Amino acid sequence: MATTTATVSITSSDLVPGMPVSINASSTLYQTGTTTGLELVEMGRGTLTQASGADALADALGTADTTNWVYICNKSTNVEQYMIIGIHETKIGHLGSEEWLWMPWNMGDSDAEINIEAEASGSIDYEYAIYRSTNTLPAKT
Amino acid sequence: MATTNATITINSDIMSYSGNVSTTMEMKKFGSTAGIEETTGLQVKKFNDTAAVKIVDNTEGTAGKGSKVYIRNTGSSSTHFFYVALNASAAASDTAQTIGKLYGGDWMLIPWIATAATTHDIHVAPSTTSTMTLEYMVFQE
Repeated sequence: MATTTATVSITSSDLVPGMPVSINASSTLYQTGTTTGLELVEMGRGTLTQASGADALADALGTADTTNWVYICNKSTNVEQYMIIGIHETKIGHLGSEEWLWMPWNMGDSDAEINIEAEASGSIDYEYAIYRSTNTLPAKT
Repeated sequence: MATTNATITINSDIMSYSGNVSTTMEMKKFGSTAGIEETTGLQVKKFNDTAAVKIVDNTEGTAGKGSKVYIRNTGSSSTHFFYVALNASAAASDTAQTIGKLYGGDWMLIPWIATAATTHDIHVAPSTTSTMTLEYMVFQE
C-alpha cells in the first residue's frame, strides 16, 4: 500500500500584532472512506496562454463523490500573471504568481472538471499533481 | 506590510521514483508584491448535525481579489467527513459548487475569489450527527 502525506506550515510574525501565526497540519491521503492509501497519481508541468481561455486540467473520470486531491502551483514570477481556478462553471479563486493550492476534489459528477485559465497576458508555467481514489481512462477514439 | 508564508510538503511512494513536492508561497495581495494584511484569525467550530452551515460569508473578502482560505477537519475518523462547497449546496455530493470532502485530519488551502454573492459563501456539511470539529482561517484581501 502506498503512503502519501500532505503537510502544511503557515507562519507569520506580523499578520496579527502580538500574536504570531503558526499553523502546522499533516494528513495521510486515503482512498474514499478507508485507511488504504491512495495509489493513483498524475503529475505534470504545463504552460497556459491567456489566449487559450479556460482549459480542463483534469476531467472527472472515475467514480463520482470520491476522495481525490489537487495540487496546483503557478510558477510565474510576474505578479500580474495569475491563474483562475474553477470546478466546471464555478470559479474558486485566483492563484497568483508563485502561489499554490491544495484542495479536495470529490468529482461530484462527470461535469466536475478542474478548470484553469491564464490571466492577464502572456503565458504561465504551472505544475500540478492529482491524487485519485479512482480513475477511468478516456475511451479509445 | 505583513508577511505570511505557507509551505506545502507532499511525500509519496506511489511511484517508484520521487514525486515529492515542497513549495513555499508568500500570501500576496492580488496582482501585487504586497503581503495580505487581514485575517479572521483561526476559528474553531463543533458540529453535530448534517445540515449545511455557512462558515465564511462572501463579504469577508473583496470580490475578485487574492484571499485564501484554510480549513481542517481536526478529527481522526476515516469514515466521517465534511463536504465543503461554495454555497449552501454543500450537503449534496454532486452540485457544481461542491469542492470536495475533508475526512479526519484532512486540510485544504485554496485561493478564494469572494465573488459578491451567496454563491461564493463557503459552506460545510458534516456527514454525521456525531460531533466533529473544524478549524478554519481566512486570509483576507
